Amino acid sequence: MVEIDPTEHEIADLGPKVNGVDDIEELEAMLELEREGPDRDPVKTLIESRIETLEAEAGGDEAAVDPAEVDPAELSLAEFANMVRDVDDVDLLRDLIERERDGEDRDGAITQIENRIEAIEGTEQDEDDEGPEYVPPEEKHPDLDHPTADKTYVEGVSGETYRDMWVYCETQRGELVDASKEILGKARELMDGYADRYGDEEDVIAVLIGDDVADLAEEAIAYGADRAVYHDDERLDRFRHKPYTEIYAHMCRDFEATWRDYHEPRYNVFPATHNGRDLSALVQAELDSGLASDCSDLYIEEAMISNPAKTGTPGDSEEFERVLHMPRPDFSGFEYSTILCIDKPHRDFHPQGASVIPGTFDLPDPDPEREGEVVEHDLDLPDDWFQVEVVEYDRLEEGVDLTGHDVIVALGRGIGDDPTEGIELGLDLVGAFDDAALGLSRGVITASYEFASHVEDYISEERQIGESGQVVEPEVYIAAGISGAVQHKVGMDESDTIIAVNEDPEADIRGFSDYFVEGDLFEVLPRLTAAIEEGGSVAAMEGVADD
Amino acid sequence: MTDADAAGAAETADHEHYEAVVVGAGPGGAAAAAALARQDVETLVLERGVDAGSKNVSGGLIYAEESAPYTIDGLFPDFREAASERPVDEYYIHNVAGDRVKTFDLDRVHHHDTDWCDSVLRRRMDSWLAERVHELTRETGGGLLTEVRVNGLLRENGEIVGVTCDEIDPIRADLIVAADGVNSELARDAGLMDWDDPDDWFQGVKAVVDMDPDVVNDRFDVDPDGGAAHLFSGDLFEGVRGGGFLYTNEDSLSIGTVFHLDSLTAERAEPHELLDGLLTHPLLDRWLQGEYEEREYSAKLVPDSKKVAHPSPHRGRLLLVGDAAGQMQAQGPIIKGMNHAVTAGGLAAEAFVEARTRGDASKAGELYERKLREEGVMEKLRPRRYRASRAVSENDAVNRLGSALIDSPLGAAGLRAAEGLAERAFNSPLLLGMVPDTRFSYVTVPSRIAEVLGEPIEERSYADSSDDADDEDGVRPPDLADRIGDLTYDVGDPHIELLDESYEASGAAVTACPVSAEAFGGGCYRDERIQTNGEEKRVVSLDTQPCIECGTCAVVADTEWEHPSGGKGVEFKEG
Ligand SMILES: Cc1cc2nc3c(=O)[nH]c(=O)nc-3n(C[C@H](O)[C@H](O)[C@H](O)COP(=O)(O)OP(=O)(O)OC[C@H]3O[C@@H](n4cnc5c(N)ncnc54)[C@H](O)[C@@H]3O)c2cc1C
Ligand SMILES: Cc1cc2nc3c(=O)[nH]c(=O)nc-3n(C[C@H](O)[C@H](O)[C@H](O)COP(=O)(O)OP(=O)(O)OC[C@H]3O[C@@H](n4cnc5c(N)ncnc54)[C@H](O)[C@@H]3O)c2cc1C
Ligand code: SF4
Repeated sequence: MVEIDPTEHEIADLGPKVNGVDDIEELEAMLELEREGPDRDPVKTLIESRIETLEAEAGGDEAAVDPAEVDPAELSLAEFANMVRDVDDVDLLRDLIERERDGEDRDGAITQIENRIEAIEGTEQDEDDEGPEYVPPEEKHPDLDHPTADKTYVEGVSGETYRDMWVYCETQRGELVDASKEILGKARELMDGYADRYGDEEDVIAVLIGDDVADLAEEAIAYGADRAVYHDDERLDRFRHKPYTEIYAHMCRDFEATWRDYHEPRYNVFPATHNGRDLSALVQAELDSGLASDCSDLYIEEAMISNPAKTGTPGDSEEFERVLHMPRPDFSGFEYSTILCIDKPHRDFHPQGASVIPGTFDLPDPDPEREGEVVEHDLDLPDDWFQVEVVEYDRLEEGVDLTGHDVIVALGRGIGDDPTEGIELGLDLVGAFDDAALGLSRGVITASYEFASHVEDYISEERQIGESGQVVEPEVYIAAGISGAVQHKVGMDESDTIIAVNEDPEADIRGFSDYFVEGDLFEVLPRLTAAIEEGGSVAAMEGVADD
Repeated sequence: MTDADAAGAAETADHEHYEAVVVGAGPGGAAAAAALARQDVETLVLERGVDAGSKNVSGGLIYAEESAPYTIDGLFPDFREAASERPVDEYYIHNVAGDRVKTFDLDRVHHHDTDWCDSVLRRRMDSWLAERVHELTRETGGGLLTEVRVNGLLRENGEIVGVTCDEIDPIRADLIVAADGVNSELARDAGLMDWDDPDDWFQGVKAVVDMDPDVVNDRFDVDPDGGAAHLFSGDLFEGVRGGGFLYTNEDSLSIGTVFHLDSLTAERAEPHELLDGLLTHPLLDRWLQGEYEEREYSAKLVPDSKKVAHPSPHRGRLLLVGDAAGQMQAQGPIIKGMNHAVTAGGLAAEAFVEARTRGDASKAGELYERKLREEGVMEKLRPRRYRASRAVSENDAVNRLGSALIDSPLGAAGLRAAEGLAERAFNSPLLLGMVPDTRFSYVTVPSRIAEVLGEPIEERSYADSSDDADDEDGVRPPDLADRIGDLTYDVGDPHIELLDESYEASGAAVTACPVSAEAFGGGCYRDERIQTNGEEKRVVSLDTQPCIECGTCAVVADTEWEHPSGGKGVEFKEG
């Protein structure tokens, strides 16, 4: 059995998954499943190219050029780099430099050889030494300015303790945003398996900053956090860079807090919303770590790293544990790269930070029974953090939500003879119910009809019902002058009772209506309105409807 | 330094550069890319569909001509086994008048200069070609990218140096092959083609109809590895100039119509109704026998090479091949577009490699033009005979005279006496090349042949005549709303903008658009009346969601017309 069955996934999220598989046999099995199943070409290509990559890695360069013989001029820089990487003989490398100098004399090629020589000679020396001697950057490059020189957290703190996955819980209008709930769910999933793999439990920490967010801290626990740390202050009612960044960073390094005994969070995850993007970059910079922005997946795994900048010893590979793998789309989604954030010998790269595209993970169901600890963060906020004043703000039109009403009155191109009156009649009927809203077919929205200004605002895609609009399931759906095209049908046919008003007894909508009123909507709608206003119930309409 | 850095450092200009970029992965683009890659030219192919073939429609019989310098199986050796449907060895034309039909065997013209001829479905064919192309081009450092729409030419100091795309950064290249089919945005951008005159185009509309392989063999009386083609002309299309076709596939039939766009527009005919007229004609019941399951409805414009094949299809580094250059030959009823696209693709590649070897890649265009001429391609596309005869035969007076003759008892007697002669005339590639584009030759002559020589069509299949005696037509094709509903769309931003919504300027699209119709609210173009200050105006409105990107309204309506972005719009599964 394979761990990832490609046939159960959309193409879009297979990219990072497939590239995480290292076992060729497993990949072959996945390929077979895909062939027998949906047989999607892009998926096959994806798996095949992964196999190719692995085979190439395993087999080395089959068509290897012989560095002793080759004329460097025949190689592109990339080919040259590949070849040089495999040469360990320093004399041969020096000879190559000569040949390159005699030939094309490309700076890029020569630097590559020199680096390689340095790497090899470095390793040889290191066998006696402790490793390359560490010189702080200020001493090594006194000519440069060092903006981080005064930051106590930058250098020399690696080897510290890090724990827990922290999740920034953004709020909007007093509610947790979905993107943060999604991340809480994912964080829960990652940390649930954590103790089994690494021996000790680590927690999901929810971070809330704002005005009146204490209640939301409870909610964050219901969505998967073990502990919610919040900072309440009425000055925090709107997102502002300075105070939010300072508070978040302070929480990360709050060595006074009794609930924690570690240096910094191990992982920081933010939603890649507008504010989340801002905050993630600022906080991670303040903590002198890195950030993988706009990620499309997250998983924790070990990583073999041979880059001497990370291992400290050229030529050696070292396994890093508990590394957060952060795949993200590049080149508008044509490629995926997986970003890792790993400490250097003299430089801490924690917390490992990511922001995640909203919608990447499923929205979890809250569990109100979940237990967790709510911690109020304690810090005086100096006034000069609030120098930026929000003088005015505007809430973007929230859009029209047609779901959740008892009744929808939807109008179609049947209003064409007098579009303005048609809308008015529809609105009258909407008004006759306690909880109704006006919907439209796409046919009306894309028409060239001219509407009088008092109804014009209703004509927008926000009211479209169907495949490319909203999907509604009210108790009663009244479709007037709508033919019932399949693209409209999929947006409404789960409604409890469907009543159609149409002149044409052959109209498709008749096939999926509970009541079909054959007639001119300009006559029928006012009668319906009157009937509802008198009878006050849907049942009253049965007088008008028959079928 | 990583490999990627090294490769990046070698890049001089700010845009990525390839030796050749090929736009479009139809037969023309596939041929060009394969020929380039075989000559080690670093080639990148860009295709807007989710998959090559997902945007393409043809009838489709692909010919391998004996006289052609390139054929599809020459460039892609396993083509026939892997990507085509059936070899088509039988070829008939049915001249229809009312319920009379006279059938001619066009065996001779079908086999003239033909090495082989197979039926194809484009999704299967093009996606197979694309896999081969990807393998070949990847070897050169390029490859094939789908879901990328090229939206224009990249120019520097007025000179064409590459292409720009919706999805990725601009790309520079020493050679740009525009194999982007009919309604080529690149040919338009370069000023080599315009989309103004309906007279230059045909509109093809097609239904792919499900049929079990055994049933195909049986009803068409062909071997499992054989197939048949049937053409239809005469009075079954309400006087619109054009004809119908039926080709056997492995387990389906391709049934369609091809009409002159000017005639279609002038008659305000509804393309889907004309197709239905053919599908429900008693003649077809011979094969359908009351059963009809439509897998897909599709349409596309078809250039008429006699009018628009560009005599000099290049500008700077840009070379046009295939439909983009108007290289689609209608030889009477025989439609040859794919094979010429393949030839042109091969020649364009050859020209580039030759020019580069001679040290001046910029000469590729001239060399390509010369090769088209010297290899005889141009003569097939724009025969001199046609140019000579057109002036006379398209003249109305001559036509009227001709009609009078053929309608007279004397004409009928002559026809009868000359029955064999008529069949021979149809079988002459020379005469077919001269067929004038008039109602006379498309409608009058075939109808008259049927009236005078034809036999009544046999009785309807008992299947429906027995249970339902007064059933008007044999089969019942789906209506337009269902046809649209059965297609797959990934709706993007509107790609067509209506510039003039008045009925005078754009009303022709209401009927000519194959997914629109008078009194149908679910189409792209809808006829509407609006009241402004008590005055009624007749206008059209446009919704591009049901659009199948056939290109018709680019010619017959006043629009700003582009293709949708990569991966967006309609997706054909058969094609
Ligand atoms: C109904 C019908 C019947 C026909 N019957 C026959 C027949 O029987 N035999 C025959 O030989 N010919 C037939 N033809 C004609 C034939 O289909 C064409 O001549 C042939 O497909 C032309 O090939 P091409 O490679 O030039 O273009 P196409 O096959 O049209 O390929 C163009 C490609 O370019 C892509 N593309 C377009 N614009 C862009 C862009 N901006 N960016 C990226 N990609 C782009 C398209 O998606 C497409 O894949 C028929 C056509 C029709 C419509
Ligand atoms: C990819 C795609 C996505 C789409 N997505 C959607 C979508 O999300 N939502 C959507 O709605 N559509 C969608 N459509 C469009 C859909 O196919 C139809 O075109 C559209 O729903 C038709 O709108 P209509 O029923 O108002 O108009 P029509 O189909 O024109 O129907 C009008 C009806 O009104 C009746 N009528 C006329 N006059 C009167 C009168 N005086 N009194 C009573 N009845 C009268 C007529 O008999 C007719 O049945 C989509 C199409 C595509 C291709
Ligand atoms: S809208 Fe234009 S391009 Fe689209 S299907 Fe109709 S005629 Fe063709």
